[in-house]
Amino acid sequence: MYKIIPAGENSILVSFSEKINSKFLPFIKNLSLKLEKKFPKFIIEIIPSYTTLHITYNLEYTEKKYKILIEEINKYKGNNKFSNSKLIKIPVYYGLDVGLDLEKILEEKKITLENFIKTHSSKEYLVYAIGFSPCFAFLGTIDKKIQKSRLKTPRIKIPAGSVALAEEQTAVYPLESSGGWNIVGKTFLDLSIKNPENINKFNIGDKVKFEPIDKETFIQNGGRL
Amino acid sequence: MSFQIINPGFSSSIQDYGRTGYKKHGLSQSGAMDEIAYCEANSLLDNKFDDAVVETVFEGLQIISKIDTFISVTGANLDFRINNKKMPMWESIKVFKDDILSWNKTIEGNYSYLAVKGGFKTDIFFGSRSINIRENIGKKLKKKDILKCKSYKDLKLKKSKNIPKYNKKKSLRILPTYQFRRFNLEQKKRFFNQFYKITNLNNRTGYRLKGRPIIIKKNEMISEGISYGSVQISNDGLPIILMKDAPTIGGYPKIGTVFSLDLSFLSQKKENEKIHFEPMEIEQAQLKRQIFNRHFEINL
Repeated sequence: MYKIIPAGENSILVSFSEKINSKFLPFIKNLSLKLEKKFPKFIIEIIPSYTTLHITYNLEYTEKKYKILIEEINKYKGNNKFSNSKLIKIPVYYGLDVGLDLEKILEEKKITLENFIKTHSSKEYLVYAIGFSPCFAFLGTIDKKIQKSRLKTPRIKIPAGSVALAEEQTAVYPLESSGGWNIVGKTFLDLSIKNPENINKFNIGDKVKFEPIDKETFIQNGGRL
Repeated sequence: MSFQIINPGFSSSIQDYGRTGYKKHGLSQSGAMDEIAYCEANSLLDNKFDDAVVETVFEGLQIISKIDTFISVTGANLDFRINNKKMPMWESIKVFKDDILSWNKTIEGNYSYLAVKGGFKTDIFFGSRSINIRENIGKKLKKKDILKCKSYKDLKLKKSKNIPKYNKKKSLRILPTYQFRRFNLEQKKRFFNQFYKITNLNNRTGYRLKGRPIIIKKNEMISEGISYGSVQISNDGLPIILMKDAPTIGGYPKIGTVFSLDLSFLSQKKENEKIHFEPMEIEQAQLKRQIFNRHFEINL
């Protein structure tokens, strides 16, 4: 039996663990896909996150339907592997002119730019959650050597395409927004939903790899400083 | 076959019942801030429950009708006029080609709604016509914008039977959800036994309240899915009530969720107005919302 608590008059939150554990992620993701398929009209929204599943359901259905949903969740034995997970490559220009917090991090962490780039871009990151803003993918986990806490005062405007990090997580800001993460680089790719196909660009379970590019390549491909 | 914006006023946008099925991609639900006023506006015209309307904040909006049709205006009282003549709200009205509709002065509330028979047929983004500025989905209305809609000759004119008394309501009913049980008695007492004031930090994303803060220790937690109306306690111990354009996941503890229909009243509150919280059983909220949904033929 999982911990199920109410989240509103027509929503519940199912908790699978107290701590973030990448082992639980495929389980949560697969369960969310299964429920969506099984209750296409009853479930209005389903939001998988690190350790929870948030479900909004249609109040027009009977209590019996609700009970079946809960049973379905509790009996789920799961599949601990991601199906259809893909690798997404994102070219990143790590330059002090776009990585607004890069200099500070290099100084504080006593690491060279070259070493920072190698550390940040050598790992395949896992998409842990989607949210905050459309198609914003929370990626983890980054090497301890380059972890840094959030800015004390969030920036009002972070340019679209900025690559940022906070504690053990990293991400790309798909659109211009406010935010408190440390900016370390920028991609020329448009990851925003201005291109509606991007809606499915990142899914929980996908892997993301950052590929360092130089300033020239960045600009040639439409990157803006 | 359209209406055209002469002046967008303080801030105007197209909204409908909202976006569904995209929260897993990080898109918030969006949609009309005052669901009661929005649903009444459509119902007065025998529209579908999710037809698109114009939502305007404060005064200044002016629109010209290029067709003969029917409209209704609900929500905040912004001194609604047609051809500069004061017109009633909360009822269906016939309008004629070249009529000028205007919202001239903020008298009560914030959000006012203009519905047109058949709904405004603006662009659909991810299943909804709702504009979301934070998410860069669509744009606010601006001068000369054309809002497509059809002409109608016949409609049985109606008046709303239950007009919300926005000023009278001071309490928000709240359901014990999320981390409610993790807040101790002391914290709950402080939360329920005080009048909070609305701050000036209110928008479609959330309403921030001021008052005596709840004393909290470790406050941040693992991000989880957010419900419409959930009451997040920020690091300063004060509540933020999350509204239609709120992010889909968040990592602050939530002391409860405001009953959805009370959020209509909240949306019309202004800076320094006082409100307090009152506990409500979930089953009671479900029953009341079901009655509302059935009345307006809402099927989700």
